[in-house]
Amino acid sequence: MNVINRISLLASIVLLLSACSGGSGSGTVVNADTRVDTDTGIVYTGPAPQTENVQGFKVSVWDNLVPENRCGSCHSVAGGQSPMFVRSDDINEAYQAANTIVDLGDPAQSRMVTKVAGGHNCWLDSNSACGDIITNYIAAWANTAGATANVIVLQAPQLKDVGNSKTFPADSLEFANTIYPVLRTYCVACHIEDSLTAQQPYIASADVDAAYEAAKSRITIDNPDSSRLVSRLRNEFHNCWTNCSANADTMSNAISAFTGTIVANVVDPDLVLSKALRLPDGIIASSGGRVENNIIARYEFKTGEGNTAFDTSGVDPAINLNLIGDVDWLGSWGIRLNGGKAQGSTGSSKKLHDLITLTGEYSLEAWVVPDNVTQDGPARIVSYSGGADIRNFTLGQTLYNYNFLNRSDQTDSNGMPALSSPDADEVLQATLQHVVLTYDPFDGRRVFVNGEDVAGADDTPAGILAGEWDDGFALVLGQETSGEDQWLGTVRLLAIHNRALSGDEVLQNFDAGVGEKFFLLFSVSHLIEMPEAYVVFEVQQFDDYGYLFNSPFFISLDGDATPGSVVMKGLRIGINGREAEVGQSFASLDFTVSDANYSSEGVELSELGTVIALENGADADEFFITFDQLGDNEYVRVEALPPTAQAPADLEEQSDIGLRKFEEINAALSAITGVSSVNPNVAATYEKVRQQLPTVENLGGFLAAHQMAVTQLAVKYCSELVGELSGSDTSARSAFFPNFNFSANVSNAFDTSGRANLIGPLQEKLLLNSGLASQPDANDLALELNNLIDIMQSSCAGSCSAEPDRTLKIAKAICAAATGSAAMLLQ
Amino acid sequence: MKIASTPKKTVGAALLLLSVASQPILAGSLEQAKRIHDRLAGVPPSEAVLLNMAADIDAGDVESAAYTAMDNSSFYDVTLKNWAAPWTNRDSDPFVALNDYVATLVGMVRDGVDFRELLFGDIIYSASGTSSLPAYSNTSNAHYEALESQGFKLQDVLVQQAQSTVTGLPSEATAGVMTSRAASKSFFIAGTNRAMFRFTLLNHLCNDLEQVHDISRTPDRIRQDVTRSPGGDSRVFLNNCVGCHSGMDPMAQAFAYYNYDFDVDADPDGESGQLVYNQAGDIDDETGTRVQAKYHFNENNFIYGFVTPDDQWENRWRSGINARLGWSSALSGSGAGAKSMGRELAYSDAFAQCQVEKVFSTVCLREPGNAADRAEVDTIKGRFSSEGFQLKQVFADTADYCKGP
Repeated sequence: MNVINRISLLASIVLLLSACSGGSGSGTVVNADTRVDTDTGIVYTGPAPQTENVQGFKVSVWDNLVPENRCGSCHSVAGGQSPMFVRSDDINEAYQAANTIVDLGDPAQSRMVTKVAGGHNCWLDSNSACGDIITNYIAAWANTAGATANVIVLQAPQLKDVGNSKTFPADSLEFANTIYPVLRTYCVACHIEDSLTAQQPYIASADVDAAYEAAKSRITIDNPDSSRLVSRLRNEFHNCWTNCSANADTMSNAISAFTGTIVANVVDPDLVLSKALRLPDGIIASSGGRVENNIIARYEFKTGEGNTAFDTSGVDPAINLNLIGDVDWLGSWGIRLNGGKAQGSTGSSKKLHDLITLTGEYSLEAWVVPDNVTQDGPARIVSYSGGADIRNFTLGQTLYNYNFLNRSDQTDSNGMPALSSPDADEVLQATLQHVVLTYDPFDGRRVFVNGEDVAGADDTPAGILAGEWDDGFALVLGQETSGEDQWLGTVRLLAIHNRALSGDEVLQNFDAGVGEKFFLLFSVSHLIEMPEAYVVFEVQQFDDYGYLFNSPFFISLDGDATPGSVVMKGLRIGINGREAEVGQSFASLDFTVSDANYSSEGVELSELGTVIALENGADADEFFITFDQLGDNEYVRVEALPPTAQAPADLEEQSDIGLRKFEEINAALSAITGVSSVNPNVAATYEKVRQQLPTVENLGGFLAAHQMAVTQLAVKYCSELVGELSGSDTSARSAFFPNFNFSANVSNAFDTSGRANLIGPLQEKLLLNSGLASQPDANDLALELNNLIDIMQSSCAGSCSAEPDRTLKIAKAICAAATGSAAMLLQ
Repeated sequence: MKIASTPKKTVGAALLLLSVASQPILAGSLEQAKRIHDRLAGVPPSEAVLLNMAADIDAGDVESAAYTAMDNSSFYDVTLKNWAAPWTNRDSDPFVALNDYVATLVGMVRDGVDFRELLFGDIIYSASGTSSLPAYSNTSNAHYEALESQGFKLQDVLVQQAQSTVTGLPSEATAGVMTSRAASKSFFIAGTNRAMFRFTLLNHLCNDLEQVHDISRTPDRIRQDVTRSPGGDSRVFLNNCVGCHSGMDPMAQAFAYYNYDFDVDADPDGESGQLVYNQAGDIDDETGTRVQAKYHFNENNFIYGFVTPDDQWENRWRSGINARLGWSSALSGSGAGAKSMGRELAYSDAFAQCQVEKVFSTVCLREPGNAADRAEVDTIKGRFSSEGFQLKQVFADTADYCKGP
């Protein structure tokens, strides 16, 4: 049953849409339309408009469409084609004719729009761009008439059971065997990256995976003959290679061969299922709400293919942007700049100069997704400039900051100094953000991100643009006109206004969002005792890889129906015959719809939203919802036990011994020498060498630098232990080396017994005499130390005997060599 | 002093001795005693201690020998201090000064406190009977730095106190070392408080987020600040981000009332900052609730994300692949605040496993590398769990296993 009910929705939705009147509905002050009428050469001399509404029609629609290169040559008295909505003899009659083909409540659904968007005498290369331009004209008329919709009409969708659906295989193998050869044969001249006439999408790319990704959205997996790849040939006669009908059959057959290899997902019959919907079955939720009275250039990037992004502001001349280099279209509306740029001509870009210097103020508004937070330069997101060092304005990125460069009589010709969002705030994130730069001669520059003024007051005084701006520059996205300072990221909407938007207006445009939103009404009447009952989600394509499902509510389109008590638990979103594996944010829903909380406006189920992975494309994916419990229907969900963890693989043989680490070395030297680790001289040396000592036990990581640090520390401990010749406190060395004569001359101190008295205590402290097989051999150590004594006894610059403290130096060195050796270091 | 040739010669000697020591040796009780002392105390024993320990080993009482080694003050001042120091900062830097986190851990081991209280106890250790030290301060680490620099032995001077008494934090808001000043300074500073959860998971359950990654959990508690389309590609969120955040965010909600307060201009590193906690009645200006403002930052990254209303946490990893972490069936898996969340972590099998593995690595100087090692770790963990979670017991048992032939 296809029932239409006119109801007002939940408060939030009403709020969303109450702002559809270009500001008038939200209490904001609407700026006067400062866009300059295009000189069409047609001067209206008929009767005056009878009402303000007629005047609004004339200014917003008639003036724009009356030229002969629009609608004037046919839909006029001279042309004789009805409806004559651009007749020149009587604006009031033209108004009456127009009223038969426009819908002020939903301009995009006007017959005037759908006709042109369907291919009826579009004056651009893109039918959709023509449709968007006329939509904007009608929306502007609706704004002046105060006639925009403030409620959404929910309409029951056609009920469809959840079907078994196919999804694209993860790999391109079957594609490569079926469709790809056709594309490589007949489309390769243009639809490949390195063609001289390169044309998106790159469905004939030499990289089959890239071609597969590009072709997916042009293939209707459940109905091959309606694929875009087929209709482009069959209906639009797009570069057929012989006969369009036969070529379309060839393509269709190839797609059928491809889809024939895919096994459909079979729906689990035990699930508690709603009815199914596709995105086009939804009701458009985003019908406006933006402040656009003074827009002079606008890009919604809806075209999705080709090398031109159309300016759909309707203000001539259109600054259509040429996509140059590596630029991709997004299915969710937008362009991804991967190092390429989108640039308008200097001739058409002059519109910006002319219309902005006229008012002396402007706003640059964009929905962007920076690829990362590491690019700088500033990296040029949007620029109206002549080169790397000269511009009228630029929106740029420097790491986490947005930069606003504007040229006025208070700045240099490069628009410097820039105004930027504060470093510490890290405002710029690699996610979808609404960025608005405004400039006016009173407040100067302001930077708004997601509706908030993030940069604060401009330190640079506000100035005058006229006389400073150069009319020979070009509007460019993604890099400088001269190719420098590339910006990587996505632009999903760009609008330039020749008025500075107020803070409220910026917020209003932020709240309006970007992209096309739908209400999907999932029917559940077959599961509960309530007629025309639906769970409604707001849904949009979030990016090229996912859908956003948010703010679900429950409602019956029968205004008199009451729910009683309906338990609703564990809501999950299904896509193409199975529940989505990731993103089930409503799985923990536990809500009871009752007569107490339900009204004819419905009842909110959750404020949350979630992202579900896109599979076959926005027009093809079939959605449904499931419940663990809805009313009396239950699905017993049993989560599989996780697999038992496997024993980890054995490691390669590891060393059974290792090094002492930094503080262990310090403590070990202290323990061996008896010198406290907080001795100031020792502590100072330890502090100096601490980070040079080993930090891991691994023998393989031991370096000469480590040994140098160990030695320095050992020398310091031993220096403190042995002391100086003139030192007053010799108790430490006397206790450690009780029989060694530190006062003896170097020639006498190191006789056999002297050596034993010096080396012996060290061997003892190092546990070399304890019978430990794991410690070095005491004799080996003695041999090395004796060799060292020999060297030090004879290797003085002059006579060693002449140095009064030579004995102490040798004692310290012997002590350090022993205590700093592996006898201490290994554990 | 002309001893220029000494370092070079010393390197030569060291390398020679390295090669000697690396060769297979037949170890007896003396060698085992030496190794046990080296590994536990970090320093070589005196000859008398060595002989005493060897005698214990010969008598079949390795445990006594190990406890003898742990009587050395270096077990606390060196081994335990450096064992714990990397867990108190984000860089796993072992060179940080002594702090209340480390001192509390050392004190708990010394006193045989149930080691699980590390993550939820109303407990702190500071020095007593040391008049030369500045008093404990909520805004300074000077007490512990002086304790270290003046060479006091932690074994002797540490005293257990109620954390709530020392810091003024309500007892129900204390959560062991997670609410210590050192941990707060490292993990509650700026950011979103997820760091406290992540580093506790890493340091005390031995799992970083990559190891608990599970994209199948319900993502309804992921906060608004997590973009669902990084760089315009929601696949990144659906395949990566969601795997950690779906479990982490509902757990880190336990810290919603905590923050580390510091003067970002005058004291950018927060050296003089302190832990703050919104008690009942404390309302944050930005959130309008007890929840700290940081939990609502960057809300426009995904406006339909979760808005934290309180500190109710929930462990979503009790099912799915992370059930393998061995959550306690005696607990409910949800609650309010850091204390009960800390208990949830500490009562897991992964916590016990982690402590044993960390001790194994410290004492054996290697990782458990084969079936025999893994079986021994299980055995030691079993004893740890069944005998009151005494960490010294783990050190002793591990030293016995790795004492050598």
